[in-house]
Amino acid sequence: MPLYRVNVLIENKPYISDPEGDTILKDLVIKGGYQQVRSIRVAKMLRLEVEADTEGDARDMVRRMCDELRLYNPMLSICRVESVST
Amino acid sequence: MSLSDEEIRYLRDALSREPNSVELSMVSAEWSEHCSYKSSRPYLKMFSTEGKHVLIGPGYDAGVLDIGNGMLLTVHIESHNHPSAVEPYGGAATGIGGVVRDILSMGSRPIALLDALRFADIRYDNQARWLFRNVVRGIADYGNCIGVPTVAGEVEFDDSFKDYCLVDVACIGVVRKDRLVTLKGDVGDLVVVAGNRTGRDGIHGASFASRAFEGEEEDRSAVQIPDPFMGKLLIDATMECVGAGCVKAIKDLGGGGLACCLSETADKLGMGMLIDLDALHLREGMSAEEIMISESQERMLYILDPSMLERFKAIMDKYEVPYSVLGRLTGDGYLSIYHNGKQVARISASVVANAPLAKRKATKPGYIEHIAVHSRKPEVPEYDDMAGILLELLADPSIASKEWVYRQYDHEVGLRTIVKPGHADAAVLRVWPEHHDGMAADLSDGYRYVAVKVDGNSKQCYIDPYNGSMGCFSEACRNVACVGAEPIAMVDHLQFGSPEDEHVFWTFVESVRGLADYGRYMGIPCVGGKVSFYNETRQGAIKPSPLVCVVGLIDDDGRVLKGHAGDGDMLMIIGLTKDEMGGSEYYEYIHSMLHANVPKVDLAYDKSARDALLALASSGLITSAHDCSKGGLAVAIAEMCISSGMGARVDLGSVPSTCTRLDDLLFSESHSRFLVSLRRDDMDAVSRVLAGYPVHGAVIGRFGGNSLSLEYKGSSMSISLESMIDAYGSVTRLMGHGG
Repeated sequence: MPLYRVNVLIENKPYISDPEGDTILKDLVIKGGYQQVRSIRVAKMLRLEVEADTEGDARDMVRRMCDELRLYNPMLSICRVESVST
Repeated sequence: MSLSDEEIRYLRDALSREPNSVELSMVSAEWSEHCSYKSSRPYLKMFSTEGKHVLIGPGYDAGVLDIGNGMLLTVHIESHNHPSAVEPYGGAATGIGGVVRDILSMGSRPIALLDALRFADIRYDNQARWLFRNVVRGIADYGNCIGVPTVAGEVEFDDSFKDYCLVDVACIGVVRKDRLVTLKGDVGDLVVVAGNRTGRDGIHGASFASRAFEGEEEDRSAVQIPDPFMGKLLIDATMECVGAGCVKAIKDLGGGGLACCLSETADKLGMGMLIDLDALHLREGMSAEEIMISESQERMLYILDPSMLERFKAIMDKYEVPYSVLGRLTGDGYLSIYHNGKQVARISASVVANAPLAKRKATKPGYIEHIAVHSRKPEVPEYDDMAGILLELLADPSIASKEWVYRQYDHEVGLRTIVKPGHADAAVLRVWPEHHDGMAADLSDGYRYVAVKVDGNSKQCYIDPYNGSMGCFSEACRNVACVGAEPIAMVDHLQFGSPEDEHVFWTFVESVRGLADYGRYMGIPCVGGKVSFYNETRQGAIKPSPLVCVVGLIDDDGRVLKGHAGDGDMLMIIGLTKDEMGGSEYYEYIHSMLHANVPKVDLAYDKSARDALLALASSGLITSAHDCSKGGLAVAIAEMCISSGMGARVDLGSVPSTCTRLDDLLFSESHSRFLVSLRRDDMDAVSRVLAGYPVHGAVIGRFGGNSLSLEYKGSSMSISLESMIDAYGSVTRLMGHGG
């Protein structure tokens, strides 16, 4: 079976605050002289290699897995599943 | 809006006009059950709240106890059930943040946390495991980040918490007597909010907590995000402000946000406030209503004299804590709120802060009678099966070792914890008077030793809320006694389903009665607590779940009982084992049976048994003590074997008992019982001490070897220490070693 690369991006929903991103912005970036940076949001990315018949199957399987195993909390986060062309 | 028609009429009458939309949101937040105690208030008067150590009782952000040597102890308990059921990590973490800020509000330094957690059966329920794992991680991450140790707790599993959880956290603080901050303020004093920027998080959180839980999707606004770094900065900045004497009052912004915080503060002071919302540091553009009820975390309110503002600013700037001067105190008793340069609300603080009582009916629920009628006893197991049952009980997640939980917590930071989780029945903290920077003022002032423990028992409280609740109180007292401490005060957290359900409400009233009767008889005052209603799942109300957190005091280090049984030590039991199997783990976990006969506390006997144990502890004649509760005598003996790393040989025939069946004797959860270990040479001396108390006491065995051997009427069963340790590790095995 072919191998597909799938990325999973998990980040807080836009209206939910992100203290980690705020802290990086305030304590590192702005203090470091990059005042042009207006906002930072932290996200988590998982890079997966998945065996599947098609790219679509790979994406569907990863999406199902993220939901079923609660790799993210749908109340809190957005989870984007994207396949990466090899 | 969550106000009832009756409440809206009451509000109109009080104002003699229609409230505007800002006023209505403020009142809705403050008159929610969560903030106003409108159902529970009349019943909470049953508690006795005075005692020789009590400086400040219920009604403040924390109870205050005078523990001598110029030191005060503060104690408070909070829950974060609804937010944790939706987002377990953030919900539990922000629960820690909230209770810590309550302790800060008295000007005291938070020095220890306790947690009491309830979930559905983690053996079969993925959702329960997910909640359990993330709640514990949330508590660990927040507590560890802010440098406050989590020193004790308890966990119970029961399917009435399906797709839900109870997350209770208690916090202990310490403050020098001359530094205590109570609510003070004069006209013209400044009202300042410091900490995180206000955003739209947790809008309607308080009213969310005052409604039945309807599952995840509907209540997204209740997600709360923890920021432990800001929490830690607030602790340090607040302690420095207190040390510099530049604040007159401090209050946490918790449930209900500014609406509740401002109205309660103004009402307690008997004053008004002129508030300009345009001055507040915001995260995003918001309406006045949203600003008033936002529950953004890590925010505190301070009242200070204008002459102190520069000093206050210098401290906040040093810690990089953002702040806003929102307004000032006025003499008119009104909250006058301005937004975009216009007055958006002008309402009497006392009207907002004092919700009309909700009249609730209390009717004994039918299920209690049903259980009574259908109570029966299981077949007596074969003698040889008893050992297997004991091992099964040791592996019962409600009984098994909670090492998987507490090893994720830093329980030592601060250097105060001298009896740690897993070492004894309660934690013991060494407490000293300190400067704001945490350094000891003068070590020659001497240490004080404080024991703390929190206990609950939803299974017994469901079947018999009066006796079950009283039993929780008794158990918490026994646990602090087991480290040699005299109980001096309690805080409670009363968790039930909807108060609008007359059957649920009856269980609440019975529970309060049980706790109040115990406290009054024992002279142990209630110095604070919380009530949490509307804990409902799709299956209906949770089992009644009152929790009791008891604080005990030990005079000196030498009297802290922290050892284990030694090889060759004798095992003694104090107390009487009775056929009281209702709500026992043996009936519920092994047999899935409900039985009406919940253990009852005999108040006079309970006091004598505890006094006898404390006399033994202070005499130095015993090497360790262990409370006999969940799982009964057999489990308590096994736990002593596991903790001391050796077996024991026990003659069950010599246990003082009125039981006629062996399984009752082994697994009954009768109250007022202690197991103690003592050196063989001290047996006579111990008997002489015990003779002074009208309680049963008997030497029933001896420690040693590699197996627990239980002998009864000529038969004997033997269980290897190894198999007991293995069974007792079930939770760790189930949750995995990764944490």
